[in-house]
Amino acid sequence: MLSSHVVSGGRNKTRKSRSLWKDGLRRLSRNGAAIIGGCIVFALVILAVGAGWIAPYHYTDGRVIDNYLHPNGEHLMGCDFMGRDLMSRLIYGTRVSLSAAVVGAFTSFFIGVSYGLISGFAGGKVDNAMMRFVDIMYGFPTLILIILLMVFFKSTFSNIEPGTFRGALSALDARMGGMFFIFVGIGITSWLGMARLVRGMTLSVREKEYIEATRAIGAPKLRILFRHVFPNVLGPAIVAQALAIPGFILYEAFLSFIGLGVNPPMPSWGMMLSEGYVAMRSHPHLVLFPAIAISLTLFAFNFLGDGVRDAFDPKQVG
Amino acid sequence: MITFLIRRILWVIPVILLVSICTFMLMHAIPGGPFDAEKALPQAIIDNLNAKYHLDDPLWKQYLDYMWGFVRFDLGPSIAYRARSVNDILSDQWPVTALLGSVSFAIAIIGGVALGTISAFRQNTIIDYSSMFISMLGLSIPNMALGPLLLWIFALNLRWFPPATWGTPAHVVLPAITLGTAFMASFARITRASILQVIREDYIQTARAKGVRESLVLLKHCLRNALIPVVTIAGPSFAAIMTGSMIVERIFAIPGIGKYYVTSVGNRDYPVVMAMTLIFALAVVVMNLLVDVSYGFLDPRIRYN
Repeated sequence: MLSSHVVSGGRNKTRKSRSLWKDGLRRLSRNGAAIIGGCIVFALVILAVGAGWIAPYHYTDGRVIDNYLHPNGEHLMGCDFMGRDLMSRLIYGTRVSLSAAVVGAFTSFFIGVSYGLISGFAGGKVDNAMMRFVDIMYGFPTLILIILLMVFFKSTFSNIEPGTFRGALSALDARMGGMFFIFVGIGITSWLGMARLVRGMTLSVREKEYIEATRAIGAPKLRILFRHVFPNVLGPAIVAQALAIPGFILYEAFLSFIGLGVNPPMPSWGMMLSEGYVAMRSHPHLVLFPAIAISLTLFAFNFLGDGVRDAFDPKQVG
Repeated sequence: MITFLIRRILWVIPVILLVSICTFMLMHAIPGGPFDAEKALPQAIIDNLNAKYHLDDPLWKQYLDYMWGFVRFDLGPSIAYRARSVNDILSDQWPVTALLGSVSFAIAIIGGVALGTISAFRQNTIIDYSSMFISMLGLSIPNMALGPLLLWIFALNLRWFPPATWGTPAHVVLPAITLGTAFMASFARITRASILQVIREDYIQTARAKGVRESLVLLKHCLRNALIPVVTIAGPSFAAIMTGSMIVERIFAIPGIGKYYVTSVGNRDYPVVMAMTLIFALAVVVMNLLVDVSYGFLDPRIRYN
């Protein structure tokens, strides 16, 4: 700890001061593993956005005669049990995984950061009660909670006449192939860690001199919260969220694997794995390609997340 | 220490209460009941069945009855498996899940700490880089991908292990590796980072300065303190391993409770879901309790009050 301060402190005097972001980005761009991870993520984003043009077939196109077809010149990765082109389904599946990563991350980020900020800033009894609730919720196994929630959503919001609020949600979920409630489920179950982190940081930041100073010149509470406390909490919160992204991808794959995720025929890698492993003995390609796809994606996000952590929050370990 | 323990044990009660209330309310808020079928039963029969399982009582009474049974270890009848009580089901299936979870956990913690320690003590060598790369790989292959791959290689092609079901020690190997690998990887990474931090502490310098043998410095002074972050994530990891067995039990057709959990939620088998959820939650809470208590043994500077 001490030695690192000395090393960086010595050089700082002679060079122009840089913002935290520039400094972090510079460190990130020198991290080879993170660059590779970033490139893979970029390629995945292109696949997800351009799936309609890139994939050779639509994800619902299939001929019964092609079922369990092994890889050949026409279908590079073969076909699944309904004769649908596996590669096309994998490409479309990128959409599901990446949306779970992005939207799940944003939902839980939003809930966790607001909860943590309010709890830490309010302090006293409010803080105590809010944190006790978080402590208790920690005892709830996440996967179990998300299973219960998904069953609840899926049966409460299926086939409801449009026109009401519930009907609108149901229609939205149906149009997104079941992804909407996956996002909600991930958001509801995975904000606890973020709330704890942000609350701890808020507690320490609000005692700092510069907050004292803004209070002294009579800034309103909300202004202090949003202009002064929030920006100082943001960095570590983003780092924590970057490290959590593989978890969101896994949640979606887990739910789709056990049949509570996307609705068929929407392709999800988790669902493709669960369809594949039952026929694996004679058709190993059904498992091999989805397994490579999801592992490569997690690999890329893990490397990128590590790089982001090293670049923006060098003190953190783990 | 004693008051700390008592307070910590009493903390289990609100957790279990909240988990049970949430589960109970969610289960009953889900539309449909246990007696829905393709061919609808006559209303009179449904009424009778509801009366038999006390499903016509007000919800709060059902909840209180259930919890009163729970504290007496009477978990009620299963609605879907008519001839069996939940106690029967759990006593058959819980040991399977517990064994699988414990073996996976042992693999994860022993393998992870070993890998991380070697890595840290040989920092920036080829050993370090390769073991950290393997850890990253282990972290990135989810068990729903690793399970089928191991199954295909070692059970279907090489035929070293049986591909499915349960019974002999050989049946445990592949599922336990599948379940434990990701956690082994994260233990390895945390152990390495933690050792590298502790090794720069002043008391390590002091130990070296007073002439303690290097091997002793590393094992006794360094590793012991470096294990604290490892122990911290051991609690949540244990919980994740137990619930992660839902996937692994499916892939390897293992008759544990994870395999039946999702089915029971689908069947609206209220007593089974309640019991399994509470057992999972209890396992998590007890594990976290052990973690908190073990801090004091690892780092003498930590005091309970």
